[in-house]
Amino acid sequence: MTPSIPLVIIGILIILGGPLIFHLVLASSSSYTVPPSVLLLGPDNSGKTSLMTLFERGANPSKTHTSQIAHSVELNASTDSDTKASFRNYDDATGTHTKFLLVDTPGHGKLRNVSMGKLARTEKVKAVVFMVDAAALGEQETIAPTAAYLYDVLLFLQKRASSKGKDKASIPVLIAANKMDLFTALPAAMVKSHLEVELSRIRASRSKGLLDSGVGIDDVGSEEQDGWLGEYGSDKFTFQQMNEFDIDIDVLAGSVLTEEPGADKWWWWIAQRVVG
Amino acid sequence: MLDAFEVLTTSGVVVWSRTYAPVSPAIVNNFIADTFIEEKNGSIAPTDSQSAATNPAYRSDQHTLKWTFVKELGLIFVVVYRSLLHLSWVDKLVDNIKTIFVQLYGDQLTKPHTTLVECHSFDEYFDQQLRELDRSSNIGTISPIEEEEVPSNGQQSAPGLTYRGRTLNGGGAGTQDPVSTDSTPIPTPDASRPSTPGNLVVAKAGPVAKMSRRARKAQNSSSAPVSSGDESLTSSRQKKGAKATKKGRKWNAEGFADEEDDSLQLDYSQPNRASESETEAVGRSSALDAVESSTWGSRSKGKFILKDLGDEVHDILASAEAEKAEKAARAESKTGLLGSGVNTISGLFRNIVGGKTLTKADLESAMKGMEDHLLRKNVAREAAVRLCESVEKELVGVKTGNFESINAKIHSAMESSLTKMLTPTSSLDLLREIDSITSPPVTSLRKARPYVISIVGVNGVGKSTNLSKICFFLLQNKYKVLIAAGDTFRSGAVEQLAVHVRNLKELTAREGGQVELYQKGYGKDAAAVAKDAVSHAAQEGYDVVLIDTAGRRHNDQRLMSSLEKFAKFAQPDKILMVGEALVGTDSVAQARNFNAAFGSERALDGFIISKCDTVGDMVGTLVSLVHATNVPVVFVGVGQHYSDLRNFSVKWAVGKLLSSN
Ligand SMILES: Nc1nc2c(ncn2[C@@H]2O[C@H](COP(=O)(O)OP(=O)(O)OP(=O)(O)O)[C@@H](O)[C@H]2O)c(=O)[nH]1
Ligand SMILES: [Mg+2]
Repeated sequence: MTPSIPLVIIGILIILGGPLIFHLVLASSSSYTVPPSVLLLGPDNSGKTSLMTLFERGANPSKTHTSQIAHSVELNASTDSDTKASFRNYDDATGTHTKFLLVDTPGHGKLRNVSMGKLARTEKVKAVVFMVDAAALGEQETIAPTAAYLYDVLLFLQKRASSKGKDKASIPVLIAANKMDLFTALPAAMVKSHLEVELSRIRASRSKGLLDSGVGIDDVGSEEQDGWLGEYGSDKFTFQQMNEFDIDIDVLAGSVLTEEPGADKWWWWIAQRVVG
Repeated sequence: MLDAFEVLTTSGVVVWSRTYAPVSPAIVNNFIADTFIEEKNGSIAPTDSQSAATNPAYRSDQHTLKWTFVKELGLIFVVVYRSLLHLSWVDKLVDNIKTIFVQLYGDQLTKPHTTLVECHSFDEYFDQQLRELDRSSNIGTISPIEEEEVPSNGQQSAPGLTYRGRTLNGGGAGTQDPVSTDSTPIPTPDASRPSTPGNLVVAKAGPVAKMSRRARKAQNSSSAPVSSGDESLTSSRQKKGAKATKKGRKWNAEGFADEEDDSLQLDYSQPNRASESETEAVGRSSALDAVESSTWGSRSKGKFILKDLGDEVHDILASAEAEKAEKAARAESKTGLLGSGVNTISGLFRNIVGGKTLTKADLESAMKGMEDHLLRKNVAREAAVRLCESVEKELVGVKTGNFESINAKIHSAMESSLTKMLTPTSSLDLLREIDSITSPPVTSLRKARPYVISIVGVNGVGKSTNLSKICFFLLQNKYKVLIAAGDTFRSGAVEQLAVHVRNLKELTAREGGQVELYQKGYGKDAAAVAKDAVSHAAQEGYDVVLIDTAGRRHNDQRLMSSLEKFAKFAQPDKILMVGEALVGTDSVAQARNFNAAFGSERALDGFIISKCDTVGDMVGTLVSLVHATNVPVVFVGVGQHYSDLRNFSVKWAVGKLLSSN
């Protein structure tokens, strides 16, 4: 009995194609249910990793050191009732929960492209928490790099919002002013105004600065408006100006290490964005 | 004695630590930044699992850090001790601890989306090792000042028992998943939950309230007493059969005899607590302890378990040793069998489809190709080798993705290696920096002064041209600039600058920039001329001083040594070195010598790469320069006009370097 040629071909196809298809099915199924993410960005030593461990453990953040890689933890957010406003109830099994990933990123300047890459590539980003060390923000050495980083993040979000493409939801930003337990800490209102002043300055100097290598003189005309953060041509930058691009920015004070003021306000903010 | 021992992940979480003396977190942070992120001193990326003896010790002011690294788990083991001490056994301790820790808890670290590692019982293993290796000092009397671990868990099983419980742990005692974390016994959330009954009011008024403010401030220290206080309370509640008991049991039910665990746990934490808590807390806990031990356990039992532990540790170490030997043997035999059919074919298949675990042999030919590619882009061999080595280290043992070829994998790994190398730790915003010096914020109490930039480099690379370009940029932004003719050596240099100044004046007169030349002719000491120029600028209200210097061969001892005096006299805010994009093999030595020429206090602040327009994609020189010095590239020159100066873009450079031609 000799098998017919079509049969042989089908046989070969099954033998070769079967594993391939199986492989594809397996590969796609894993990425099928991506939970929403909340990104933790901010300069080094601002307390991002501490906050992540605090939320995961419910109390007592772990001791931390400089992060070299991004790392995420899975958490449950719920906005059922006001009693859930604290992350300490994260293990309360009543009511509805939304699973999400809190993604911690490294703040070191040399690893900036890792963190910005996370921002660009993470799927379903519900919110960005930009953490700053409010206790050190009064110093020039801290506020300058902090604001420069924030500028890049906001500019990225602005470009993302104004690029017309897929129906992308806007990403709200929380500026988490950490380390309020320290006596040098600036209150939230001052963190906000200091950052706005510094961002205005950066915006001004970037508009006057040298072009980047690789950018031709001819491209300038179109680039200029794109590279401007907030309301074009305005003198002072305010976070308010980002509303025009559908980006809400809140500044909330807190502290990872102490119960007062604690991190509840941040948690509630995050929970609302994740669930909502 | 040691100051601290820490086990931390590359994501920055300390999973286990022991502290004997307060160590500023900044010390370990700097160690990580210098060794792992910035790879200072051109040291190549840390090698996987190398012994602590081979890894270069990291020294800070008074401390020495010895370390080892397990790549696939992203785990760093680091010990901190006073540099004055010569502890011969420390390397061995780090290595052994690594082996034991990985053996016991390694599988927990591979779980995604969590930072929790249940390794509380590691204390006993650590103590055992320390006791064994450090026979010279009697550890028994020294107890750690505080337990700075992950929240101590009340119902955690006792150290010796955890060994038996290990499989349990690995098998998923359910401590990893945050959903089931409610079964993880974390005492404090309990305590702070407002709904919990009155009993807890006592708990809060206990150690927490009584603790000195200082102790509370010391980060995390609050966690230790709180938890130990709660620990005892939890167990007392347990006996009363209070609500919380359920919780404890639920977890322990997956394990075994919970009562026994508790008694032992209390036994062990007793010495620590006594050494750190207030008398009241001690009183309470020891009273409890008495009850506990009389009820269930005795110290002798604990000791018995400890002895077991010693055996266990030796087993672990021995089997790890054997495994290593076996691996080596297997690797040897493998090379002999490399051609064997099935292996090769499935390897080829996976190579196309992806999902292959890469070995050194797989990478070899592709890596060679990458190295040649970099050399063709004019990257110095030394730098190319370093980059390829770090990429190879990153990739060995990694699985390729779906339908991802080895070449694609190498390409993307090289892209991130190059990006990391070329990205500066802090980016330069020149205008911003000038402003903060020339008009400092009122609160800073600093006096306004001119901002000083000096330009150095070998002969003929375009120092004066690039200085003029920077000047043009500053003039466009309406700064008042003084150019100082610091080249008092080469005839014609001063006149050349004068021509530039005249051109610049003409070009920018309309825009309101002001520029003058400061010169004292030839033969004068350049450092003195620079110093005079700076004080002249301060008097006349200039914003910026740009100092040109004489070109010098980097191996010209006499001229190079004068740079140190120059830096002292002129006190430049920025020293920029001009390097030619064209320069060949010499670039590494040039950059190193210039970077070292300013004495121990000062180094280069950045490079200007000139004549980038003449080399097309072959911009490898800038990689060599950064590799040699860790100094970032800030500007690139791209043409003959004053306006042909650009901010350095890492993306642009990486794109050119990796483009095929
Ligand atoms: N006083 C005080 N210190 C805090 C607080 N939050 C965090 N810290 C400390 O700040 C330091 C840095 O915290 P990390 O969480 O490691 O900072 P990070 O933002 O992850 O830093 P990178 O990983 O380098 O980006 C740690 O020593 C924390 O103990 C706080 O609320 N108050
Ligand atoms: Mg971190």
